[in-house]
Amino acid sequence: MNTIIRLMANFQRSLLPLIAVSLLSALGFAQQKNGDGKDDMILSAMHAELERSRSQLKMEQVAAPYYIEYRVFDLDQYSAEAAFGAIRGDARIRFRFLRVVVRIGDYKQDSYSGQGEGTLDFLPVDDDVLAFRHQLWLATDRAYKAAAESLTAKQSQLKQLNIDQPVDDFAHADPVQSVGSLVKLEFDAEPWKKMLQDASAIYKSDPEIETSESRLSFQAVNRYLVNSEGTIVRSGENLYEMNIAATTQAADGMSLTRDTGYSVGSIKELPTAADFSARATKLAETLKGLRDAPVADEEYRGPVLFSAHAATTIFSTLVGDNILGHKPELGKNARTTGGFAASYKSRVLPDFISVVSDPTISSYKGESLLGHYEIDDEGVPAQRVSVIEKGILENYLIGREPIRDFPASNGHARAQIPAGNPMPHNSNLIVSTSQPVSKEELKKKFLDLCQQRDLQYCYSVETFGPNLLPRLIYKVWTKDGHEELVRGAAFGDLDTRALRTDLIAAGDESHVDNHMQKIPHSIVAPAVLFDELEVKRANQNKEKLPEYPAPALEK
Amino acid sequence: MKNRSRHRALGCLFAVVLALVAHSRAASAPKEKSDVLLSTMHDEMQRAQSSLGKLDPAPYFLSYSVYDQRTAMVMGSQGELINSLQTRHRSADVTMRIGTAALDNSHSQNRASARTSGSLPLDDDRNAIARELWRLTYEEYRKASKAYLNVKTKTQVNAQEEDTSPDFSEEKPTNHADYKDVAVNPDQRRLEKLARQYSGYLRKYPYIYSSVVVINAQNTRFHFLSTEGGEVVAPNAYIRVAIEAETRATDGMELMRVETFQAESIDHLPAEAEVGARVEKMASDLKALREAPVAEPFDGPALLSGRASAVFFHEVLGHRLEGHRQRGEQEGQTFTKKVGQAVLPDFLSVIDDPTQRKLNGLDLGGWYEFDDEGMPAMRVDVIKNGILKNFLMSRLPIKNFANSNGHGRAQPGLMATGRQGNLIVSSTKTVKDSELRQKLIDEVKKESKPYGLYFEDIQGGFTLTQRSAPQAFQVLPVLVWRVYPDDRPDELVRGIDIVGTPLAAMNRIQLTGDKTDVFNGICGAESGQVPVAAAAPAMLFSEIEVQKRAHSLNRPPILPSPVDEGASSGKNAGAQQ
Repeated sequence: MNTIIRLMANFQRSLLPLIAVSLLSALGFAQQKNGDGKDDMILSAMHAELERSRSQLKMEQVAAPYYIEYRVFDLDQYSAEAAFGAIRGDARIRFRFLRVVVRIGDYKQDSYSGQGEGTLDFLPVDDDVLAFRHQLWLATDRAYKAAAESLTAKQSQLKQLNIDQPVDDFAHADPVQSVGSLVKLEFDAEPWKKMLQDASAIYKSDPEIETSESRLSFQAVNRYLVNSEGTIVRSGENLYEMNIAATTQAADGMSLTRDTGYSVGSIKELPTAADFSARATKLAETLKGLRDAPVADEEYRGPVLFSAHAATTIFSTLVGDNILGHKPELGKNARTTGGFAASYKSRVLPDFISVVSDPTISSYKGESLLGHYEIDDEGVPAQRVSVIEKGILENYLIGREPIRDFPASNGHARAQIPAGNPMPHNSNLIVSTSQPVSKEELKKKFLDLCQQRDLQYCYSVETFGPNLLPRLIYKVWTKDGHEELVRGAAFGDLDTRALRTDLIAAGDESHVDNHMQKIPHSIVAPAVLFDELEVKRANQNKEKLPEYPAPALEK
Repeated sequence: MKNRSRHRALGCLFAVVLALVAHSRAASAPKEKSDVLLSTMHDEMQRAQSSLGKLDPAPYFLSYSVYDQRTAMVMGSQGELINSLQTRHRSADVTMRIGTAALDNSHSQNRASARTSGSLPLDDDRNAIARELWRLTYEEYRKASKAYLNVKTKTQVNAQEEDTSPDFSEEKPTNHADYKDVAVNPDQRRLEKLARQYSGYLRKYPYIYSSVVVINAQNTRFHFLSTEGGEVVAPNAYIRVAIEAETRATDGMELMRVETFQAESIDHLPAEAEVGARVEKMASDLKALREAPVAEPFDGPALLSGRASAVFFHEVLGHRLEGHRQRGEQEGQTFTKKVGQAVLPDFLSVIDDPTQRKLNGLDLGGWYEFDDEGMPAMRVDVIKNGILKNFLMSRLPIKNFANSNGHGRAQPGLMATGRQGNLIVSSTKTVKDSELRQKLIDEVKKESKPYGLYFEDIQGGFTLTQRSAPQAFQVLPVLVWRVYPDDRPDELVRGIDIVGTPLAAMNRIQLTGDKTDVFNGICGAESGQVPVAAAAPAMLFSEIEVQKRAHSLNRPPILPSPVDEGASSGKNAGAQQ
């Protein structure tokens, strides 16, 4: 069935990003309730084929599998896109994706690497046990053969290497049975499309806006996981995302981009038409503000204050990616692959900052969090993990692939929809301070520092774009505290070292930043003050302004 | 399948169409009085022309192509629906040329600099359409003007090229507006029903491990506007049903059969019973192939069925007749200097005729009224009585061929090049199809070979036309029989590819059958995927070379299928339909 995937891939490439799918045959699946899953066609097909493979699958001269895992993602997604006030496309797509992992060997050393990491296939969206089992049967057969080849390759590679401190390939985990409710996607598309049209019409108020787009993606994701250790998990979640993005150019040609959006777990949390439109208007205003703003100075070294929103980006980039317990490739002695690989039990943040990853909570001070789940994508119950305690790195986030000193999963293996391997990933990353400072105090502290350094102004950052480039950054004048937007700034040394040594204070109010892509997660952080950072002029290409003016609007 | 699209190879997916349904044009829409899309394209083009015309360098040519496409794709397997998609998309291509027709930004390897593509709103919102066209136009201007500078510098530095033809042909602009649809958009549920039904036919054959039915329907309205004054609105449509089934021999060789049915509209597709019969044949072919011996390398007489010959001509000859291949400095140029010379035996002639809509009652996949450069489609006599006369031309001139002949084709987003439409081979040295087998046996005896080969079906193939690679082709036969000169019955074999060099292979054709077979397919090359047809009679070759095909050593599935295991049948109560 590789053919199907290829065909689908080709088709999707040609029609990206909008693909529609009909739902006429989705009747059976949405009505099931919590229970033992025995009445669930998908679970029973998975279970039946798993049992057959577990007891019978064996090739001559190849060990029988010691572990088999089936995972199904059932995705129902509606997406729509508008540009310049008009719909450019909308589509509904529904498919079921299967991933089969067969492991040969044992927990200490097994076939899980390269092609042994599983096989993928589509499953029918019609509920038919035999058609399902047929696909499971073939995918299992492919996975087993791939595992056999992979184990041989791995063993011959290991012979070439000298491993000092061997770590197991796969962690033991207790079987879990949890059959949760399924979700469906129910909404009327028209009002949402209208909202996108209205939001993307902001170009009408500003002829210098060069692109204005608005998109949404609504999903119902139902997950099924069955493994040969006895784990049976079913769960469903809804995800809703709406975005607005616009670009313009300053008079000197500098490209300027703003985007904003909502990622929530319930349709009720999406903005009203009025709120969404107001957000778009605000975005257009800040874009105009940026266009008219002066360019950042060549050189600055001094205090920088980051809003709680900007702080979520910093912690996500500099902490979030570095606390994942990815096992390094064969023969590498490091503990993990990230920037904190050598920081276990060491100081990575100032002693008043702590960080937890907590998938067990679904909201923070009334705001919902997207990183909530009960059981991870390897069937391990979610756990609150204290990652950094008083500045010291105490834990990594891991799944069932152990790393040195971390022999068991802490329930953080998560898979990208629809076909990713489960990998260590953040859930709800919550940054807290033991010495919270009020907003006013924080600003005062900031301005005091500026004064002490005899600086005429200091920088404060409201939001970031990609790659830790500030989008909204202000000069805050020391003499009276007034703020002036600038553009084209970049940081010289905003890195893990600065986080450890230059972060000197944190605020008492946190911002919740929800992300739907690529794996739903949240970051919660307070505003932070650095006593010294380098801010310079971004090395940004300046394009020419459009050669001729935009078309005049027709009423 | 996996080998079909290799680097720099032109791979085409081919198969037979069996439709014998009476032709009827779809109900026609009234001529649109106010085409907001076209008039907005018009206004923006004028604005661009007057604004950019004042700049240095200024474009000498600008065109807008908008493809308003409705696409449906439905996939089924094992009698169940895998996926069902339908979507509408308006893609816009802005093509700009800077410099002069003699030398412009599209020169040589810079063709992509002449085009910028994007998506337009689906609603007839004049403001939104204008805004997007404006953006695409100034972005294209930047790309084209930068490329033009490079081109000028390079031509000063480099030695003179072999072919000094201009970069763009001079043509009379066409004005044509046809708002009729070729086909109505097929009902999605009907497509889903077909996908379930056809894929269900294969469910009863447990040795067919995997199978899929893919139905693809596309309905396009093409809008074209150029600063030369060209203005074209034209429809096009196709629907294609592809049925794939795979099994494995005990030695691990993958065996696959594909049947496709392609027509202008769903009503032109063959009746369900006929498709059912083809699927039954696929299943029995695969069963026979699993048990068939592996063929040995062989060099000797061979008979190609009409279907096989058509694929062979498309791959081996057709791609080498595409105009732009005669000019590229990287191209092998097999035929470039052979105009006026014999390239085929004198009893064979080849035309490419996109204006022909049907042959033997079947829709031809390569039918169109206007090519993607807004030029009217034309019948081209490429080879007459074995003598090479012409090439398949886009607006990229080549030595001695200054003009387009309506073969500039591309998928939306890519620059057009000379491509095939309906490639039709005819013969004056024919015998009745029923006598061909005896002719093959006569040839086997004459050459004192142990047997000859009969190629019943060829899946597709690829051909290399670049200089850096050998000028070779490979086609992938799927049903090949050994035909013995004595009384032994024909013997099915598996696991061979036809290989060779084009000119040598073509000149070993001895005679042909008297019936023409039609193949419709989707062909991929530099300018993307375009629907094509090829038609040819069966052909007897005095010599064809075959080599063993590389194949996987994976064994067939270890466990029996769950159906064989007697897994509880029947559908989950209330779950479906």
